[in-house]
Amino acid sequence: MEKAWTEILVSSFQEVTHRLSLLAPRLLAMLTLVLLGWIAAVIARRVVVRLLVAADVDARCARWGLMPTWSRTGVLPSPTTLVGRLVFWMLLLMAVLMGIEALELTATAGLVALVMRFVPNLIVAALIMVSAWVLANFLSQAALIGAVNAQVAGAPLIAGAVRWLVLVFGGAAALTQLGIAREMVLLAFGIAFGGSVLALALAFGLGGKDVAREILESRLRKQEESEDPMTRP
Amino acid sequence: MGDRIPAKDLVPVESLATLDTARPSELVVGIPVLNHARSIAQVMESMAMGLAKHFPSRKAMLLVVDAGSQDGTREVIRSWKEKSPDAPLIQDVYLTGPALRGRATLAILLLVRHLEAQACALVDANLTSAAPAWVYQLLQPVLQGEADYISPVYTRLMSEGTLTTNLAAPLTRALYGKRIREVMGGCAGFSAKLASQVVEIDTRANDLDAYGMEMGLTTEALVSGGKVVETHLGRKMVIASPGEPDMATMLARVTGSLFGLMERYRAFWEPIDGSSPLPQTDMPASFSSEAAEIHVERMVRAFRLGLKDLLPVWEQIMPEETLAHLYPLGLLPVDEFRFPPLLWARVVFDFAVAFHEWRLPREHLLRALTPLYLGRVAAFLAEAQDATPSQFSDLLDHIGQAFEEEKGSLRARWR
Repeated sequence: MEKAWTEILVSSFQEVTHRLSLLAPRLLAMLTLVLLGWIAAVIARRVVVRLLVAADVDARCARWGLMPTWSRTGVLPSPTTLVGRLVFWMLLLMAVLMGIEALELTATAGLVALVMRFVPNLIVAALIMVSAWVLANFLSQAALIGAVNAQVAGAPLIAGAVRWLVLVFGGAAALTQLGIAREMVLLAFGIAFGGSVLALALAFGLGGKDVAREILESRLRKQEESEDPMTRP
Repeated sequence: MGDRIPAKDLVPVESLATLDTARPSELVVGIPVLNHARSIAQVMESMAMGLAKHFPSRKAMLLVVDAGSQDGTREVIRSWKEKSPDAPLIQDVYLTGPALRGRATLAILLLVRHLEAQACALVDANLTSAAPAWVYQLLQPVLQGEADYISPVYTRLMSEGTLTTNLAAPLTRALYGKRIREVMGGCAGFSAKLASQVVEIDTRANDLDAYGMEMGLTTEALVSGGKVVETHLGRKMVIASPGEPDMATMLARVTGSLFGLMERYRAFWEPIDGSSPLPQTDMPASFSSEAAEIHVERMVRAFRLGLKDLLPVWEQIMPEETLAHLYPLGLLPVDEFRFPPLLWARVVFDFAVAFHEWRLPREHLLRALTPLYLGRVAAFLAEAQDATPSQFSDLLDHIGQAFEEEKGSLRARWR
């Protein structure tokens, strides 16, 4: 009885030791990969931030009309800092994935390949959303100023509609790129877009007679202005 | 010393070859044209008569440069040429490329140099009040060495030219220290030397739109240290041509050019304080108190709408201190509406600083000035309504002084 108990203990200990001796190099490899990845991520972040600062990216974002909306969010750092952080986390994520792969665990087999297949689509979708955001801000500001200068009432409403139209379009394009419920997104977008246009047309025609008149009058006024000596230098 | 844009890059080779046969030409009267079929014949007639009458023994040329008219201007010019075989040498040049008025002006400046002319008069093709005597007034002082640049002064209704009286002239006065009346007056006389200086400057895209080239010419004359003289040309009458921009676009183009010039000539304007009047070749201009239909109510409404809806944009351009002075104006009834010149000067300088710092896309920023400009014009016209010509002159002087007073704040913020 005592001998059997000792054998079980020894064999269990040997088994655990054997398994640990098999896992230890992999664990060490994972830790090394994560550490190296972290160092590379820190260096890459610094290099990218310096390059972006040298390229005056924050000021350029201001020129493209991006900064006002950016700073209004109150949570986003400057574009340069944000890109630096993205680079850092992307590299660290890659290092962690490589580390997990080095462990050769059955449960995580194929995880890296799966993630790596998804990453390009994710990057493209993010780029689509950023572009849509820049475009939405630019166009909505242009619409706001244009509508106010044409003395059209409800200019902020028009600007808001323009902003959301572009953002919704961008969102639908990004989701399609990610392959998330592609048919549903296309269908929903088509219904929402078509419905909005129809609703606007009906609202403008039935309920917005005054606004329509105002817009037409402002167009006529613009034509008159070109004949008005006061508008000439 | 080569041109920034060689004449051959702008002017078709066959036109240059024709012009070479008339080289050198002592005098050039240049008419930049873009869709001026309604008025070009009248202006050409006056200028040709002026050259024939006042400079019969000089080798002169009437140079018409079309930037790409689409309204039959070319046919009108050719038909007038055929009907006037006795007129002084007329050359018509048709540019290819973008149809921008400033390209025609730039081509004239380049050709003045190419033709080795001594003096040039530049006259807008829509100036139907252009008289033959203008040719003498614009060219003679330059030929005699009494001036490098002749700037026009017109007799105007008080309601006319508010973009000049409330923005271009007082801003130019405060910046460059000269009380010039017209910064983009539609005509000018200048020496070949000045034309050469201007074509050496790096021309920006917005200079080629609207009045950018003319404003560049006037400003270069002021900063180059040459003799700038004003001459009184009488009443200014113009005919609108098809495709002329609306008020907001015109304001944005003019303001954009003025702010662009501020960036170019910073080293010159920064140390200048105060201003001095320019010498005049003849009687000073008077303002006509003739009544004109004024839509002050519409302008005040535009200002109020701007204050209500454009505030998020204005907050990015103007500091809280300026905005705090603007808020109460939105509550004033139309008949009591006012917009003090000092506040207006502050607003213009705030926009200039924001333009320089690229706080917004520049086109958006410039267009966001429109409701404020209309508010200022409404207040100005209300003040001018019952003014005598002398009081009106004082009113204009007051605006200029306000810009001079506010210049310190501009200097402190312009980095």
